[in-house]
Amino acid sequence: MKQKSWNINLEEVMQVGVHFGHQARKWNPKMASYIFTERKGIHILNLTQTARFLSEACDLLANASSKGKQVLIVGTKYQAADLVASASIKARCHYINQKWLGGMLTNWSTIEKRLQRFKDLENKEKTGVLNQLPKKEAATLKRQLVQLRKYLGGIKYMTSLPDIVIIIDQQKEITAINECITLGIPTICLVDTDCDPDLTDIPIPANDDARASIRWILNKLTLAISEGRYNSIETE
Amino acid sequence: MAAIVAAQSVAAGALLGSSKGFGLASSSSRLAGAQLGVKGASNGSRVTCRTAFTIPKSRQGLLEEVERRWEAALESPLAGVEFTHEEFAEVLSKYDFSFEIGDMVKGVVFKSDYNGALIDIGAKAPAYLPMAEACIHKLRSVEEVGLYPGTEEEFVIVKDDDDNGRMILSLRKIQHELCWERCAQLLADDVVVRGTILSSNSGGFVVAVEGLRGFVPFSQISARGAQSNPEELLNKEIPLKFLEVDEERTRLVLSNRKATFAESQSAFGIGSVVVGTVQTVKPYGAFIDIGGVSGLLHISQISHDRLTSVETVLSPGDKLKVMVLSQDKDRGRISLSTKKLEPTPGDMLRNPQLVYEKADEMAKTFRQRVAQAEAAARAEELRLQQFQEVGFGVGNDFSTVADDLGIDNLESLNASVEETAV
Repeated sequence: MKQKSWNINLEEVMQVGVHFGHQARKWNPKMASYIFTERKGIHILNLTQTARFLSEACDLLANASSKGKQVLIVGTKYQAADLVASASIKARCHYINQKWLGGMLTNWSTIEKRLQRFKDLENKEKTGVLNQLPKKEAATLKRQLVQLRKYLGGIKYMTSLPDIVIIIDQQKEITAINECITLGIPTICLVDTDCDPDLTDIPIPANDDARASIRWILNKLTLAISEGRYNSIETE
Repeated sequence: MAAIVAAQSVAAGALLGSSKGFGLASSSSRLAGAQLGVKGASNGSRVTCRTAFTIPKSRQGLLEEVERRWEAALESPLAGVEFTHEEFAEVLSKYDFSFEIGDMVKGVVFKSDYNGALIDIGAKAPAYLPMAEACIHKLRSVEEVGLYPGTEEEFVIVKDDDDNGRMILSLRKIQHELCWERCAQLLADDVVVRGTILSSNSGGFVVAVEGLRGFVPFSQISARGAQSNPEELLNKEIPLKFLEVDEERTRLVLSNRKATFAESQSAFGIGSVVVGTVQTVKPYGAFIDIGGVSGLLHISQISHDRLTSVETVLSPGDKLKVMVLSQDKDRGRISLSTKKLEPTPGDMLRNPQLVYEKADEMAKTFRQRVAQAEAAARAEELRLQQFQEVGFGVGNDFSTVADDLGIDNLESLNASVEETAV
């Protein structure tokens, strides 16, 4: 477990707005230890802890990806959707940025069947079989393809359950968290002042609302993943 | 399976012991995430029995590592962190943001749904721009105003954050101000604009012009019979000119007559005779519609004889010939007269038909007389001027003086004066 410096610069972090929490009356008391103070009716998170947990999470990810473990990033908020997609594509991991379908992990066998169908349809489209079918059938299949691409586009290449799951907004992805708990998959989660830090394995206290904040944290995490993978390739 | 559970409980036991760390005030033991699932933890927390699955051995290693790291983070809170607690506290005030109602902020649109758009303004949470506030006109989607994901625009905050820290923005206000400015400019430039009639009330019409609502009094409408049946003109577009633009009192008054007047102005010269129909009869005269524009025939201008009421001579619908006395371009008024057209004074009352026939003749005579009068006036003026030039009183030109003295020009005179002075 090497202690690597992940360049968490205080000025940068504050500029992005990671330290802002929700309104004071909307907090979860379990977050008491992560909150620094209250200003103008808004809770401020303790950035030292954020930095600590974030560096720990990055180490974990780097380690895991160097061993070839799979990571899944889940973020379905409006603000996070496209950021999650671009970050995951850069880091070459799986992602879910549209609705989290119930049972995506616990009912993995069914989802696998859907992924098969997805691959099947893509092949058909590539080879041009769709153009030879009658109009109505082709239209139905194309519609199916669009739907599959929308919801499962990010996990197209996932063959089994992921090893680590990164979750952007705990309140919004509560089903995802519960599924991970049931299956024993460790989670890294951005917790805001209205979230429960006990539900996740490594909480990162941060602002989960502002786009800039989400982007910054995702950057750090995906950097860690890429580094780990790069190291593993090197050592091979 | 029992071994695995036992191993977990050992780890849990270790956890129970280490309740130190950063102020874990709430619970004495902390069972996080995946551990909760495995252990089926109770412990007063709200998570109850979840031992539905057993964790495969391959994943054990990872779970343990995660747990270890979490512990480490709590035990050594500042290891590897590049700044200290105190530094953080200091810099905190520097990065406060405060947005008040009425602030102008620059924001980037990142998502638009059917009811509005989400805009990132750099606050805690993104702000919302509802459809109703996006534009003065009615919209079907915010894209019509040009707000695609990625565009940057200036907005004004109208509502402060609700519980989520989300602020409501508006473009409408800015557009409103711009519209009023534009209207003031159009008033100054005296430009003809087009407006649609929305509704009518007791005094006139309400029109929509330049995105704002304005008022056109009945008297300023030049269309026939506007007052009697206003429903005919609903939803029609008419040319208008601004009469009054007052933002503070939200007064926007326009005139149709002024706009159409400008078009038809050249048609009537002073002294020309035109056929007209009586539109309305008022105690002080009658409104005659000539060629689409209405002019006033004052009671004193109808006949040489004194009239008490107009109704005795004229009634709406009468056709008669009138002469144009004068035109007021600024207020879009035409003054008419039939007095001058009477061959003998008093004819209008006794024999309107005769007036009608003789109208052209009378007009010609009138014009001649007018021309004569003008010539006479001009001659008079000329005489006065010559009188002045002879030298009565200080003349406007010094040329006479200079000639007398025998000096070529005045400049040399000045120069010589200076020389002698020095």
